[in-house]
Amino acid sequence: MTSLAIETSNLSRRFGRFVAVDSVSLRVPQRTVYGFLGRNGAGKTTTLKMILALIRPSAGQVRIFGHDVVTSRMTTAAMTGSLLEAHGFYRNLTGRENLDLSRRLLGLPRSAIDHALDITSMTVDAGRRVSGYSLGMRQRLGIAQALLGAPRVLILDEPANGLDPDGISDMRLFLRSLPDRTGATVLVSSHLLSEVEMTAGHIGILHQGRLVAEGPLERLKAELPVRLNLDTSNPERALALAQSRGFSATIEGGKVLVTIDASGDVRQAAGALNRSLVEAGIDVCGVQAEARSLEALYRRVTDVPAFPSIEEAA
Amino acid sequence: MARSGLAAVLRVETIKLNRSLALALTLIAPGLIAVFTLFNALRMDEGREWSIWMTGNAFMWAAFMLPMSVTALSALMAQMEHMPQSWDHLRSLPVPRWTIYAAKALMLVLLVILMSLAVPVATAAALVVAGWISPQTGGAGLVDFSGIILLYSRIALAGLLIVALQFWTAIRFTSFVPAMALGIGGTFFALVAHSAEAGVYFPWLMPVNMLVTDADRWGLALSLGAGLGLVGLILAVLHLAWREHS
Repeated sequence: MTSLAIETSNLSRRFGRFVAVDSVSLRVPQRTVYGFLGRNGAGKTTTLKMILALIRPSAGQVRIFGHDVVTSRMTTAAMTGSLLEAHGFYRNLTGRENLDLSRRLLGLPRSAIDHALDITSMTVDAGRRVSGYSLGMRQRLGIAQALLGAPRVLILDEPANGLDPDGISDMRLFLRSLPDRTGATVLVSSHLLSEVEMTAGHIGILHQGRLVAEGPLERLKAELPVRLNLDTSNPERALALAQSRGFSATIEGGKVLVTIDASGDVRQAAGALNRSLVEAGIDVCGVQAEARSLEALYRRVTDVPAFPSIEEAA
Repeated sequence: MARSGLAAVLRVETIKLNRSLALALTLIAPGLIAVFTLFNALRMDEGREWSIWMTGNAFMWAAFMLPMSVTALSALMAQMEHMPQSWDHLRSLPVPRWTIYAAKALMLVLLVILMSLAVPVATAAALVVAGWISPQTGGAGLVDFSGIILLYSRIALAGLLIVALQFWTAIRFTSFVPAMALGIGGTFFALVAHSAEAGVYFPWLMPVNMLVTDADRWGLALSLGAGLGLVGLILAVLHLAWREHS
């Protein structure tokens, strides 16, 4: 019995000469919310489509609960619910009728529709035609469709797309609660870092088709070095002093940025630096430690600067 | 979760037609012939033989309305999936993929047969109504209903190759333009060359050839239209199920 809900091994996909996904080995633990991150075009949707056996890998394998998705597609499809970018609803039918189509194909009882509508708070609007739905309602109905039959794995591609702030908040709470409520494993792809940070326990970051980071979010953040932002009366002298104490430091925007290794004690380092600067006659106007955030992690592994300088932007 | 077979997918295809343009077209196409027949009958001074009406409308159906209806119907049924991009959802379900396309093809064939059989019924209804409005008009003489139903059935079966070609094109291409261009082009050539000797080999003229008296000729057209149509539909289903949509 595997502890992984989804596992890919060296998964690759080429479109002609273009390598969309390059040797990606994902490991999604059971009963977790796994945030799959990457900018547009990073290869997230292509990876998800290979996990759902919608497109064939050029190389590598995908397993869901140990079953190969290509050779055992019917088994893995029965365990999986999905919401991809397009909703796939028939506009001439009501929300309930749309769910009924999937219910029949899944061979589920009628009560499965009520349950899915209840979970997504769509019961009241289920009798209306989908053509009259807002984008948020269609998104919720899409999740209801994905939840039909209580699948063990839920794959959601950009579920917050088109939602208003309240809808995004609801979606976040909903996704976070799913593993406990239904026992499902949720793989959610997004480029909204803050949303993933508040929702997912595990993450994988895809960059230019390659998996550049993966693991429990807290562990990955803890492994990040912290940058101390020193606002001083003499940045050049402060830089020299920090470097003489063995710190890696640079000057950016008139402030000294000191990097504290992940294993280092940030508070102790900040106190020691502050004391040294004051003793050297340098006024310290501010010391600020940059939070160990998902955004910082993302920037680090994808090599994206926090703010491009004015010269770079120009 | 239980797995579904072709019957369940076919039932789903039926539900999808609710309030759809495809279903409306199925009713409108034979209805247009009925309207035409009614006004045509009312402008006549005396009634015409039933067989003349039925044969005349059969030509209209076989040469123009059937191919155009198949073109529009297959495009509408395909766009029901292309527009909301529902292929990914359907293909991710624990259902054999070939059944998704087979059910759609079967539904299209069924609707084409129903439309074809509705034409003589609509024609008869129009003539009866014409007779009520103006007693000297309407159909005259005896009606050979079994012969008429047989003729329209043969027309529908000979049109299976058109159905297969239009079905494959409409599902294969996300845009409706290739399917419409094929259907309009085929119908145009059929109309301008309907009496061509080699027309028996042209898919869009196979239904028209059901109206000729030469049994060898209509037999050949029926065999080619129905036989190749069936093979074409099977190949289309297998190809569409095998290929990637993304």
